[in-house]
Amino acid sequence: MPREKTHYRNVNENPCNMCMPMGGILPFKGIEDAMVIIHGSQGCSTYMRRHIAEHFNEPIDVGSSSLNEKGTIYGGAQNLFQALNNIRRVYKPRLIGILTSCLAETIGDDVGGIARDYLKQQGLDEFPLVAVATPGYGGTHSEGYWMAVYKIVAGLARPTAKHGGINIIVPNLSPADIREIKRILEMMGVRYTLLPDISETLDRPIARPYTKIPPGGTGLEDIRCMPGAAATIQFGLTVEESLSPGHYLQSEFGVPLYNLPVPMGVEATDLLVSRLLEITGGSLPRALELERGRLLDCMVDSHKYNAQGRGAVFGDPELVYAMARTCAENGLHPAVVATGSGNSGLKRLMEPVLAECPEDVLFLDQADFMSIRTACRDAGVNIAIGHSDGKFLTEKEGIPLVRMGFPIHDHVGGQRLLSIGYTGTAMFLDRVTNTLLDNKHKNYRAAMYRKFYWGFKERGHTC
Amino acid sequence: MAISEKMLDEILNKYPAKVKRNRKKHILVKDLGQDQQEIEANTRTIPGVITNRGCAFAGCKGVVLGPLKDMVHIVHGPIGCAYYSWLTRRNKAKTDDPKKNFLAYCVSTDMQESDIVFGGEKKLARMIDEVVEVFKPNAITISATCPVGLIGDDIQGVARAARDKHGLNITAYNCEGYKGVSQSAGHHIANNNLMEHIIGQGDLEEPPGRYTINILGEYNIGGDSWEVERVLSEIGYEIQVVMTGNGSYEKLKNAHVAQLNLVQCHRSINYIADMLETRYGTPWLKVNFIGIRGISESLRNMARYFGDEALIQRTEEVIERELAEIEPQLEPYRKICAGKTAFCFVGGSRGHHYQGLYEELGITTVLAGYEFAHRDDYEGREVLPHVKTDADSKNIPDLHVTPDERRYRLKIPVERMDELKKEIPLSNYNGMIEEMMEGSIVVDDLNHYETEEFIRILKPDIFSSGIKDKYIPQKMGIPTKQLHNYDYSGPYAGFRGAVNFARDVAMGFATPTWNFIEPPWKSKPLLEGTIEPCSTNKCAEEVGA
Repeated sequence: MPREKTHYRNVNENPCNMCMPMGGILPFKGIEDAMVIIHGSQGCSTYMRRHIAEHFNEPIDVGSSSLNEKGTIYGGAQNLFQALNNIRRVYKPRLIGILTSCLAETIGDDVGGIARDYLKQQGLDEFPLVAVATPGYGGTHSEGYWMAVYKIVAGLARPTAKHGGINIIVPNLSPADIREIKRILEMMGVRYTLLPDISETLDRPIARPYTKIPPGGTGLEDIRCMPGAAATIQFGLTVEESLSPGHYLQSEFGVPLYNLPVPMGVEATDLLVSRLLEITGGSLPRALELERGRLLDCMVDSHKYNAQGRGAVFGDPELVYAMARTCAENGLHPAVVATGSGNSGLKRLMEPVLAECPEDVLFLDQADFMSIRTACRDAGVNIAIGHSDGKFLTEKEGIPLVRMGFPIHDHVGGQRLLSIGYTGTAMFLDRVTNTLLDNKHKNYRAAMYRKFYWGFKERGHTC
Repeated sequence: MAISEKMLDEILNKYPAKVKRNRKKHILVKDLGQDQQEIEANTRTIPGVITNRGCAFAGCKGVVLGPLKDMVHIVHGPIGCAYYSWLTRRNKAKTDDPKKNFLAYCVSTDMQESDIVFGGEKKLARMIDEVVEVFKPNAITISATCPVGLIGDDIQGVARAARDKHGLNITAYNCEGYKGVSQSAGHHIANNNLMEHIIGQGDLEEPPGRYTINILGEYNIGGDSWEVERVLSEIGYEIQVVMTGNGSYEKLKNAHVAQLNLVQCHRSINYIADMLETRYGTPWLKVNFIGIRGISESLRNMARYFGDEALIQRTEEVIERELAEIEPQLEPYRKICAGKTAFCFVGGSRGHHYQGLYEELGITTVLAGYEFAHRDDYEGREVLPHVKTDADSKNIPDLHVTPDERRYRLKIPVERMDELKKEIPLSNYNGMIEEMMEGSIVVDDLNHYETEEFIRILKPDIFSSGIKDKYIPQKMGIPTKQLHNYDYSGPYAGFRGAVNFARDVAMGFATPTWNFIEPPWKSKPLLEGTIEPCSTNKCAEEVGA
């Protein structure tokens, strides 16, 4: 039976994405003293906590309104009120995010309204309660992520006097990546508000005493003041305008927006550095120049190996764009580019990158791993780059996987993967190159044997 | 260290008054002075406490159905729940025909907004056609997630139609997440449907072996079931089906031929055990394959049930041989573990079972509990007549089965059955509390806040639970052992499993890592040396150089 190639799918076989509230949790984990509740049956929050904990190796406290059959008939407001009371009492958060689930949305609970009623009932005029509609069927975790960041900004930002700092809005990157962005900003002497900042909260050092809410995260006051910034730099080229916090700050408060690619690879990092120099009027720190030089040195060393790679790149749209560009820069031309999201921006952005690839590239959106696997087989892919579920490609097709993005649930250290900036890019490329080399060392005898004794022609340079 | 009423109050005082009253009923301190200690369980979770409980879907698709390897388990709903229940329990399986093992596949209708508005039945029906075409499974299950029940998709109807169309056993499970109070509701839903539509559908009439058994409530996490099966086969048992670890539709449909059903996880599968007894006259025996005493006793009880001298003797031989193999291996680990204390909080049976194994290593369990168990799992089945059914449990109706006219057979005479019941846990489970020590704490539905507080007070040496809560104690500097998925280790069941467990736990205590948490500059001076009078100019010269 031919599979439907339209937006309307029947089977999703081994998904390449998760649901909206999953993505919505992450930004709240990057806000100082924040807690988050999923309004729905408790399974949602339990399942998502489990998966996020496995990626970051951190405790992930997410509340639930634990809706049951009664709530589906009479509405869930009472449960949500109770959940808010209990969370406030035990965790003493300074901000609470409320995400909805399939259940809350299908029964038509208006969480925005419930949140307002709650604040009124409790006499809490100033308490930031950020409600985000994230039905599981409304999009993937990528959209959920951006929707939550958008609502946090829209909920907190207030007209503020100009303060000259810069807003940095980041997609779902690793805590190590966030730390790297902060390091670059500090090196360049930039005053900034980075949102959401999971660098400390989701990669927490062992430190006593243990606190219920991890220290760190973007300060609430800093978010409130984002409208007073000199500019916003957002790494969100694939984000639709309606979900883009940068666009919101621009249209509501006139903060100029520089919507940039994730600073991964030479070109994209150069772009960030030039914009920062432009905005701040400063000069390039010597240390950063050296890092750029080292990255170039790494790329010169590695290009001969990487050019033998035919890559499949998959995951969140923003990261897919960054990874595909970075690989292409070093001559590892992607053969398959895929995302589970229905993001239309990615395809448009990818076109010029794909046009430069010497061979045809298969682009898949709303992809599942069955379609990615078929594409990899057709394209003779010999290296996969993306999150852990790509291990299916290794198991079934023998294609080695470089783990990258979210979630990484079968390896440790997802939170420590550094892949951006000049230094991070070099580390990313090394991981890719070494995976190709390992695979080559592992297989070359067999490949030679097949080639010379049996006359098989290898595809995609596996030997 | 024992906990006092005052300390308990201190923990609970942080809650609003109503929550405090509620939670207090879920916590008890074992008191031998009391005849029967009552605990509240299987009631609604309090919203906003960070519970470890999941939902009905997790219990049905995730736990009971998921491990059945030759079936494709379709998740009808938006993508999240299918993703989150994809290979997350480490239930292993192997098949003779590699094309009949579908565990690595996550198959979902991936409902979009339009499906929620216009209904997803047609999509589901088309999808079943595709699944039959692509996978050629032996059977198919369809599990519903929250919105399906709310929008009124008739998945039972779709399954019926597909059954007729494809001539395949296709069953549907209305296990929407909001049903019941935890995953326990989902176990019940799965039990009912498996009993109604699959068990007994096979045409086997006679047991394939002399001592044919089923193992119920064993999910083959980390290969547990394989280790247990190794020993059982050596004694001479024929295992018809394991429910559901490494289980298959092909075996399950003939589950009725067994002469005895073993129940490992009472909570998730006691419904089927009871129904098998009513319909086919097959009694069930509560077993515990975790720990040396647990498995030895279980094996002896099985042999007594069959009452065959040769079997009894063979059982003793195997136990003796296994013990001779493992005892020397356990010794070094016991030295490391002796005198330590543990928390043991798991889902519905392991919170109890692992206490025995801990004890054998010299570790005392000071706090234990279940996420989603019922009162009978704590207090024993004798409380069943006194458990009040509330609205939530009524929502999951019991399936009433009657004796199968053709296949019902008394496996042993009634008098002997009555006699045996006095000696072995035949069709009975005495629960966790009975085996716990005076002063130890039992907590139902332990949440993150209480976890932290109990750790502060009791300072256990090891915390054994799951991935969601293990990072809290780890951050506090306390070793943990995941008892849901064994931190990618295992098997832990059976004789050899006990050694694996001992090794892993001892490794947790012995890793040098813990020694480095306190930095040297906090406990000792950074520079060590003595100050000598500087008689010559040497010091100055050195500094100057």
